[in-house]
Amino acid sequence: MKMLLEGSQACAEAVRLARVKVVSAYPITPQTHIVEELAKFCSEGSLDGRFLCVESEHSAMAAVIGAAAGGVRTFTASSSQGLALMHEMLHWAAGGRLPIVMAEVNRALGPGWNLWADQTDSLAQRDTGWIQLYCADGQEVLDTTLQAYRLAEAVNLPVMVILDAFFLSHTWEPVDLPDQEKVDRFLPPYSPRFCMNTADPQSLHGVAPIGVYMEMRRSMQLAMEAVPEHLARIEEEFATLFGRSYGPVESYLCDDADVILVTSGTAAGTARVAVDQLRNEGEKAGLLRIRMFRPFPVRSVRQVLKSVQKVAVLDRNCSFGAGGIFASELKSALHGGNPAPVYSYIAGLGGRDITVDTIRQCFSLTRAAARPDIESVWLGVKEELLK
Amino acid sequence: MTPHDANLPPLFMPISSAPTSANRTGSWSSRQPRYEGKTAPCSVHCPCGEDIPHIEMLAARGEYTEAWRTILAENPLPGSCGRVCFHPCEGGCNRGEFDDPVAINALERFLDDRAGCGPLPADFLPLSTSGKRIAIAGSGPAGLAAAWFLARLGHECEIFESAPEPGGLLRYGIPAYRLPAAVLDREIGRITELGVRIRCSTPLEKELLANAASQYDALFIGCGNSRGIGLDLPGGEYALDGLSFLRAVRSGSALSGVDKYRLHDDPQGAAAPRTAAIIGGGNTAIDVARTLLRLGITPTILYRRRREEMPAFSHEIDSALAEGVHLIELSAPLAIRPAGKNLALTLQKMRITEPGADGRMRVLPVEGESREMTFSAVYAAIGARAEEPWHSMARAEGGLNFGHTLLLPVGAAGLPVLLGGDLVNQVESVADAIASGKEAAIALDLLFREGSAAIAAGIERCRIGGGHSLSMEIYQGGPRHSRSRRVVAFQDINRDYFTSSRPQRGGSLPHTTAAGSFAEVEAALEAGQALEQAGRCFNCGICNDCDNCRTFCPEAAVVLDGQNSGGSDRERRITYDYCKGCGVCLTECPRCAMVMEEVGS
Repeated sequence: MKMLLEGSQACAEAVRLARVKVVSAYPITPQTHIVEELAKFCSEGSLDGRFLCVESEHSAMAAVIGAAAGGVRTFTASSSQGLALMHEMLHWAAGGRLPIVMAEVNRALGPGWNLWADQTDSLAQRDTGWIQLYCADGQEVLDTTLQAYRLAEAVNLPVMVILDAFFLSHTWEPVDLPDQEKVDRFLPPYSPRFCMNTADPQSLHGVAPIGVYMEMRRSMQLAMEAVPEHLARIEEEFATLFGRSYGPVESYLCDDADVILVTSGTAAGTARVAVDQLRNEGEKAGLLRIRMFRPFPVRSVRQVLKSVQKVAVLDRNCSFGAGGIFASELKSALHGGNPAPVYSYIAGLGGRDITVDTIRQCFSLTRAAARPDIESVWLGVKEELLK
Repeated sequence: MTPHDANLPPLFMPISSAPTSANRTGSWSSRQPRYEGKTAPCSVHCPCGEDIPHIEMLAARGEYTEAWRTILAENPLPGSCGRVCFHPCEGGCNRGEFDDPVAINALERFLDDRAGCGPLPADFLPLSTSGKRIAIAGSGPAGLAAAWFLARLGHECEIFESAPEPGGLLRYGIPAYRLPAAVLDREIGRITELGVRIRCSTPLEKELLANAASQYDALFIGCGNSRGIGLDLPGGEYALDGLSFLRAVRSGSALSGVDKYRLHDDPQGAAAPRTAAIIGGGNTAIDVARTLLRLGITPTILYRRRREEMPAFSHEIDSALAEGVHLIELSAPLAIRPAGKNLALTLQKMRITEPGADGRMRVLPVEGESREMTFSAVYAAIGARAEEPWHSMARAEGGLNFGHTLLLPVGAAGLPVLLGGDLVNQVESVADAIASGKEAAIALDLLFREGSAAIAAGIERCRIGGGHSLSMEIYQGGPRHSRSRRVVAFQDINRDYFTSSRPQRGGSLPHTTAAGSFAEVEAALEAGQALEQAGRCFNCGICNDCDNCRTFCPEAAVVLDGQNSGGSDRERRITYDYCKGCGVCLTECPRCAMVMEEVGS
């Protein structure tokens, strides 16, 4: 059934369809609509789950860690400072191999205080052991959230479903809301590989001395390495039932492209329009959207970029002192593969618009320069303010 | 695992079936929580120092007899106080800052109605006798309380009472519609059960006092102010004394009293309207007016200030007005003269000026504005003084004032004499009179055991929260002794655990019915209301077994002993081997019954 839903509502509807048992969250703009919707579902009974109110994001994550260790499906959501406050618990969820799913609405970190889209908050958590999936539209938010539970429960790692503040969280789009019965077929009741059990008391996640710690970490890495294969299989099933699939990356007109722009999130929709314009003008432009950032889809990326001449990466984030984070990762992924130069651009921080012209500028700058700058190039910056 | 997800990646993680007790997390701690009872503000405000949070905790569990015994430990007259006390406890109640104070006064009456009919609990009997004999002048609340506490401490008491029946002001000053005689009789019965002898119709004359030293070891004088003060104005002798009138009505001589007061002198007979003016604004004025109303007389209270300045309890004024008592404010009597069968009262109109030292507004006459009103009778209710001048004159002799009592130097009497009750108290109330009796008992016990030099310090040790109220339980080294003197403030309460509620209190007789008889006006709480009211108590500063500390302790370091004992001796302790000093227990304790201390402090 097609419905007009906000990105936040699409997320909440997916959580309801996934029959999540415990939701715990602390409100923060722009995540609030997701948890408000879920609190309503829990109180009206349309979701047979408990909504635990807590005093902080750290406690919200701690609460779902406890619930997940008890063997039930869990959900939380956060953004920006809230996610930063969760940091310690993010490691705990992943190291504890708990299949928690979290919606993370990309918002700029303060100071200065800013509520708008920026990916630095989620990318700052890239080493915590969480799978990260970046969505481009409302339908993908709903579908990814459902897939996230299958994926998390298959590899015993937590998943962040990531959406841009306002451009996605607060934008209303037609979304196909699947039947519960079909969702139940795709996502059967959760059957944990381990959980707390009062009949057989155990302590989980205790001391791991020198003799075993490295093996724990190796097992997490192996789980991450298994993700592409599991995602592919899960998406295949999803496509059979619902007729949609996304893959770890999405390529658009890349086969014969000489310059490919790599980006993520809602900027990809704008980039598609720019690529269409450039194609009409005779340029061989292509677009690669990275949906899965962790684990980084090295094989998929290499496959799409195997014969391109130049790669431009547009980042809505910055690792200070290193530049665009997707660009860094992409360079690393290409190392030993296609030696095409990688041009790094930063735009749209703190909610500033990324327009068709911004994208076209990426292409034109990339074509014009014989080799990339050492540093990322910032687009749309009011340089006069910095003099 | 979901059955169709095959080829699962490895899962290598620490899971242990061994207990974590080897990890003594308490060794990291720099501070430790401890259970520590504190002082509830209601107890500090209660002149009798009742252990109110504990009483309400027991009442909320339906343990009415235990709750009543807890009152009795500090106050021998819960049935009377539950009806006539001005309940300053409720003014101090922390719940008052949340929604409404707990109905502590109504609960006291409820508990006495429920549990007070039985015999005196055996553990109130003294374990041994001291051989000391104390004479007590007056069987009002001060004398009765002194006897009760002294007898429980093993001293023999004999009360001298000038009236034919014991009770003093409780019997002769408070009308039956506020305090039925049966309730008072029951309470006095408990005191005589302790072995206290009450000699009625035997005033403590000065001659008896002269020989007291040969028969007694000490004397307590608590016979109060029972003689009304007359009106000092032309024709003041025509005014009747309000207190004497109340006494006459309570003695059963109401009709003869009315005859005596010439209310039947009207040749027209009883059919003619009969009116009375009452001069004054205190509780006696209200009691006189409401009593007259019940005898078919139309009473008008004349007060020189305004209603808001009247010293009478506000709710009593409300009831009086609702029943049909008239009130004329800003009217001061100038003169009384006979006018045929009636009395003509000249009244001066007054006006409000500025607040006086006591916060009440001062008044001044409005020049040239006076009027005359005619009444069948005029009653004076402007205050009272001691029956015998030497009762109060003794005050002038100096001595040691402990707050509610005054120890006179051993002079002519040849034995220690302690003055108490209204003769000494700053606040003239039943509860303060009881407080005085308790203080007298503690003072005399200390005197007998350790000498007069020990009294002041001994009394200080019994002060609740460092305030004016004393605790007999603390004096006797009971469990209350170990509580901190720190008074729990509203901010100390974790209000997350309470929801606002303003339940119904007990009702009262319809005003028209009430005015027609001496039946008790205020209704008792019903059982459901009492449970609800007691359950509203924050139980400030005492553990009520809520178990939050144990539930929330992240280290499971709170251990519950006696878990299977059925509840009575459940006790918690903290295993410091595992307590990290995180303070969650203190935060989650709704009632401030714990404290945190630095290790080694």
